[in-house]
Amino acid sequence: MSTTGDRPLDAGRVGAKLRELTAVDPLGRGGQEDPWREFRRVEIIDLQLSFRFRHSLGKYSRFFLDLEQRRLMATRCPRCGTVWMPPRPACGNDLTVTEWVELPGRGTLAAATECAYTLTTGGGAGHLVLGYVALEGASTLLLQQIRNYGDARRLTPGLPMRVAWADARVEHPMELFWFEPAR
Amino acid sequence: MTSPSAADVVILGGGLSKFAAERPDGTPIDWIVEATQAALADAGVELVTIEHSIVAYESEIIARQLTMGQVVQDALGLCPKPSVRVEAGGGTGGAALRTAFAYVRAGLCESMLVVGADAVGRQVPSTTVRQVYAMSGDVDFEMAAGGFFTAYYALMMQEHMRRYGTREEQMALVSVKNHRNARSNPMACMPLALTVDDVLKSPPVAAPYKRLDCAVLADGAAALVIATPRWAREHARAWRDRARIYYTGSGCGTDRMRLGDRPGPYPGLAHFRAKREAAAMAYAMAGVTDPRREIDVAEVADPYTGVELQSYEDLGFCGYGESGLLTERGVFDLGGELPTNTSGGLIGQGAPPGAMGLAQAVEIVRQLRGECPRERQVPGARRGLTDIHGGTASFAVVSVFERRD
Repeated sequence: MSTTGDRPLDAGRVGAKLRELTAVDPLGRGGQEDPWREFRRVEIIDLQLSFRFRHSLGKYSRFFLDLEQRRLMATRCPRCGTVWMPPRPACGNDLTVTEWVELPGRGTLAAATECAYTLTTGGGAGHLVLGYVALEGASTLLLQQIRNYGDARRLTPGLPMRVAWADARVEHPMELFWFEPAR
Repeated sequence: MTSPSAADVVILGGGLSKFAAERPDGTPIDWIVEATQAALADAGVELVTIEHSIVAYESEIIARQLTMGQVVQDALGLCPKPSVRVEAGGGTGGAALRTAFAYVRAGLCESMLVVGADAVGRQVPSTTVRQVYAMSGDVDFEMAAGGFFTAYYALMMQEHMRRYGTREEQMALVSVKNHRNARSNPMACMPLALTVDDVLKSPPVAAPYKRLDCAVLADGAAALVIATPRWAREHARAWRDRARIYYTGSGCGTDRMRLGDRPGPYPGLAHFRAKREAAAMAYAMAGVTDPRREIDVAEVADPYTGVELQSYEDLGFCGYGESGLLTERGVFDLGGELPTNTSGGLIGQGAPPGAMGLAQAVEIVRQLRGECPRERQVPGARRGLTDIHGGTASFAVVSVFERRD
């Protein structure tokens, strides 16, 4: 939105003050036709909201803990046989309590997208590729980063994939692994 | 699904506060006040006669305000009347519409003010907003892997392109259309004259999506007055003086939060099962059997260009895989067989989540009354549809509206 009346800021006695301005009516009504003409003087202040969580991974924790042992753990419903990956402690079809099963870490690519950035993973990574992988033994698809793919045009559905493991210390357990083409 | 004794529901009027990439001149509550004033004036209704309200907004974190429903009720001067807040991500406005429909139809009240807003323009950095919105999906697995919503929608479209041969040029035509339609909408955020080439050459975000394939997070608010015909006869000047708009069908559907958990081949990664469910429910209620011919104008969810194409298919406007070709033929343009997003949609009008689904209904009401500017009026429109969803359509609402003279 355009504004008028901006002026160099002298925050004076208000530390959080960022700016004072006279806002323009966004509908372009001028003078007496602007019903809010007495309310166009605006102060913008700086506010911050931050949280730190002591976040439990709850009944999903074994998946994350076993990643440290380089094991990919899914859950299987003893009633309907669905193998959930990511795991679910209760089957998403019938609420039966599931059981842990290890998957071999091989599969095929279902879909991939090359992203200019992401905002949600460690370090706010720049360019990355995200893909859904159909792991052998799983009934569902697992989203993870795809690395070491060479030319991104290779990343077509059906491409054989394998899990790869991080050697370095990571921040979040999901950073312990990624997928890459098996050949 | 419906009781024979259920009340008819009518939309008496609607209003918007200007959608913009930044509104330093107010807060979401200020914009709700503006939209409410416009809606009441449009409906010809006095605020004091309204019996109930619904307040829609997506995120307390971004609003930096809990219980905004109660705060809005206070600001509007509606205390001590009843009010309820609803939330369903991008589908929040749709959830508000459906909730209002249910309350009025069930007889809990005969008049309802429905308002929605969000401030997701530049008051909070867009990187922060997108991080917060990533929490609308799977936080522990997919978000932690780097997932975010543009990427999820991009993965869906990759599968749609693979299955049906849908092309980026066809998606770009949606951007061109919606930005063009916004040019006759003074409330719109992104009125632009674009070419397909402009869209294709805009910076990449997540393949196949580029910046001009994406809706713009915006500041703004919308409001509607919903009632029974009996209440309208007694309290609304618009009932006597204007074309009457009935809310004849409401449907809702859901799907699994993670795309990878959805069964194949349908919906698989490519389709919106929740939307198909919602549409079927709304069509059954409204007596629609051939939507492409029986709907005259539609506002269709378009957070990304490809989503509009996918939505055409699950709304039954065309067969699976046909949306790109029909878009090339101009079927969904103004002057085409079924004009869509005449307001500009989320891409052209802007995308404040709490307001979007309500703003769609405001546009359809104006279209059915024949009150849109000539450039975007669909001549003789008698039946309209709105479609909005949250997540990657893990929640969807479809509504049908009809003009009855």
